[in-house]
Amino acid sequence: METLDLARLQFAVTTSFHFLFVLLTLGLVSLVALMQTRFTLTRRPVHERMTKFWGRIYVINYALGIVTGVVMEFQFGLNWSGLASYAGDVFGAPLALETLIAFFLESTFLGLWIFGWGRLNRWVHLALIWLTALTAYASAFWIMAANGFLQHPVGYEERDGVLRLVDFGALLTNPTFGTALTHVVFAALTVGGVFVTGVSAYHFIKRTNEVEFFRRSLRLGVVVTALATPSLVGAGFAQFPIISEYQPGKTHTVPWIGMPLGFMILIGMTLTFASWITLPLLVRDWVIRMRFPLYLMVIGIPLPFLAAIFGWVFREVGRQPWLVYGLLRTSDAVSKVNATSMTLSLIVFSTLFLLLAITDWVLIARAVRRGPETTPQPVAPLVVAL
Amino acid sequence: MDTLWLALLAILVMGYFALAGFDYGTGLLLPFTRDRAAALRRMTPFFLGNEVWLVAAVGVLFAAFPRLEGELLSGSHTVFTIVLGGLVLFMASVQLRLWFGLIFLGALAVAVGWGLFVASLSGVPWFVGAALMPALFALHGMTFQSRSRLFGLTALACALPVPLAFSSHPVEGLMAGPDTLAMLSWVAIPILPLVVILQWSIVAISPR
Repeated sequence: METLDLARLQFAVTTSFHFLFVLLTLGLVSLVALMQTRFTLTRRPVHERMTKFWGRIYVINYALGIVTGVVMEFQFGLNWSGLASYAGDVFGAPLALETLIAFFLESTFLGLWIFGWGRLNRWVHLALIWLTALTAYASAFWIMAANGFLQHPVGYEERDGVLRLVDFGALLTNPTFGTALTHVVFAALTVGGVFVTGVSAYHFIKRTNEVEFFRRSLRLGVVVTALATPSLVGAGFAQFPIISEYQPGKTHTVPWIGMPLGFMILIGMTLTFASWITLPLLVRDWVIRMRFPLYLMVIGIPLPFLAAIFGWVFREVGRQPWLVYGLLRTSDAVSKVNATSMTLSLIVFSTLFLLLAITDWVLIARAVRRGPETTPQPVAPLVVAL
Repeated sequence: MDTLWLALLAILVMGYFALAGFDYGTGLLLPFTRDRAAALRRMTPFFLGNEVWLVAAVGVLFAAFPRLEGELLSGSHTVFTIVLGGLVLFMASVQLRLWFGLIFLGALAVAVGWGLFVASLSGVPWFVGAALMPALFALHGMTFQSRSRLFGLTALACALPVPLAFSSHPVEGLMAGPDTLAMLSWVAIPILPLVVILQWSIVAISPR
């Protein structure tokens, strides 16, 4: 393979893995924030234990996800130096805002939240999880603003062969930004809802003694999924007129591009339908007593992840052969690096990311199987030794 | 404007090496440490905060010096594969308390990688760089772990090589346009002290 193909493959692999971590991080932090809010208001121990159990899973996923994010950030400069030198003035702005506002601040708030358990005023501690959630969503905001620019460049002026930023506001009113961001936000909430539902269902299949704990978790998961999916699907379909106006060739860039799109829509519809059917069955815990829906809930856990990857493949592959639509071709943006170096980094990062994903899976599965703690435990592997 | 952004970049880069340096040093010294768990525990409250200085530095490098970023990184492609591969290994294995050998290997790859980068920037032979950075990090890890009064000195020693090696590099015409920089200043200037205060609070509330 040539450098270009290797660099594209590397971007696809690393971004896909990164995206999986990010979706669960965004989804879980929102639910954990809701749980902690209920705890802070009611002071009932069950809500505190829920916050800790789901919070621990969230922190495991965050700790490994942040590592994939570091590699992602370097990758632009390493493999796509043409993008930085041509469009860095414009594209780099939202990307830098993401690293400064979101990445930098988010990890600091989360650190304070982790180390602040039992040491800070409970309202301050609650504010910290909301700030962590807010900065996590701010991350999605700036990344989608940067991606929206690649799909439909705005707010720039070309001078001496490079793009200069002239209207920052245009990046935020970009038609390829708002609906896509809404779509991603609700996709993350769906991932969180489906995950919490599925894990709770697993414990009911195993005849858990923690009935109240998982009953509450399952109900929260189902309600979040039911509320998120209609907006998710709506914001998905709302993008078709935008695509046909700004990227008319998108649906036939490659012969197979309809397939991921089709599967994504199918999964979105299925989850909407399933969550709304389940809502009335929450009455008197019918859905738990019927038992067979519990198995479907566990099987459903990977579905929103799959849909998200399909959607991302459609959005990004559909932009080809352009990196910045209509302005910069992907083949002109790739760094002048020989194929051997590119192969080496492809192998190193793919292997490490695969290992990270497996580790994440194993650790989350272990935390899930162990169930909620009966004695107080530290909330994070970060403070495992405290 | 140019000076401001060069100063900001320098602060972030030096902050990263001064802080993360003792993380890597602690990792490098693990094979020679009797109580490994205690050594890692001492570094725990600092860890995540230290590493994200790199993320902020690269973010600023990308947005404020877009034509420099691509050239610097892609010009040392394999060196950064070593640094980043080491970082992935190091961060994951420290946070999850995996086998100490992995933590050591990760720290070693990061340290040698940065050493090679210093060598390629400054023109000193590669093996000098590859030996220098691990030695400085190890020393810094030692002063951190023993709470030595020389901590400030080793921090400075870790922080200086990359900015010094870089200082001979011309930056004329590599910066982003004034509109981009003006917009970014509004965010970058207030965030830096905020993060410093918050990171200090994490350490302050953690048990010794």
